[in-house]
Amino acid sequence: MRPRHDIRILVRRHRLVWGMTQQELADRVGVTRQTILSIEKGKYTPSVALALRLAEVFDVSVETLFQLNKGDNDV
Amino acid sequence: MSEPEAPKRWRPTRTNLVAGGTVIAGFLLIEVNWWFFLLVAAGTFGPGILRELGWLRDKDEFQRQAAHRAGYHAFLTVGLVAFLLVAFFRTGGTMEHPHRLVTFFLALLWFTWFFSSLLAYWGVQKTAARILIAFGCVWLVFTIISNLGPEWTGWAALLLHPLLAAPFFVLAWLSTRWPRVAGILLLTVSVLFFLLVFMRVFARTGGPGLINSSVTFIFFVGPLLASGVALLCTGKKSECPEDGEEVPMTRK
Repeated sequence: MRPRHDIRILVRRHRLVWGMTQQELADRVGVTRQTILSIEKGKYTPSVALALRLAEVFDVSVETLFQLNKGDNDV
Repeated sequence: MSEPEAPKRWRPTRTNLVAGGTVIAGFLLIEVNWWFFLLVAAGTFGPGILRELGWLRDKDEFQRQAAHRAGYHAFLTVGLVAFLLVAFFRTGGTMEHPHRLVTFFLALLWFTWFFSSLLAYWGVQKTAARILIAFGCVWLVFTIISNLGPEWTGWAALLLHPLLAAPFFVLAWLSTRWPRVAGILLLTVSVLFFLLVFMRVFARTGGPGLINSSVTFIFFVGPLLASGVALLCTGKKSECPEDGEEVPMTRK
């Protein structure tokens, strides 16, 4: 369940910019708030389908939300 | 800037209610006939079977992965113990009423699955802290009620006995600040309990006492032992502060 630590997750940053709560984002992509929380904390790596839905909500590419880490993790 | 939104409290789903009601009904109807115990099995395993068949879609991917992982942990734990017992019996070991081992395996299976699920949802430190707080509260209530009972033992006992719950709360606090220290302490307590209590029962009563004590050990010491191991493996200081809603900023 714990993701590899070489992935930088920027979901929270985009969610805050869009002014969404975790629950609102969860409702938009069809998961529970716990799932969004776990993704943002780096405890869970979403499936490709969920990553694509998240990118669609924020109108960005998947690579913008999930980046291979070359430094400290953003979470 | 808007106020942070309070996290929604967990509410049981329809599946939870039906399954829980079935389990309770099964336990109550055991008094009528032990075959009603199958209702407990239906409530416990039914939802999972329906999900695997694709007939119940009430969990998202994170929840499904947590359930699969918990099942895998239960498989590893129970499998290992089963092999130990096979070796024990094949090398001449005997045990009175070996059919009671079924209860032991059910307890071990359920506990492993449940603890693994808690770790997936809450994380190591929060799980350990909540378990320790629960133990402390139960001990506190137990000591207060027993001291207020018909055998009144005086105010000193009423005030002092509940203090025995203090170590649980201290360990709960430690688990969030210094998880490895708390882990070492929990492991030490668990091992001491195993050696001083469990092994004594085994030496005194043999088979039946051993199985009953094993089940007691799983439910009363198991959470502390498992929390200790998990805290030692977490390998870092405090995790992120409380899981709360982030305050959303307005979009630029």
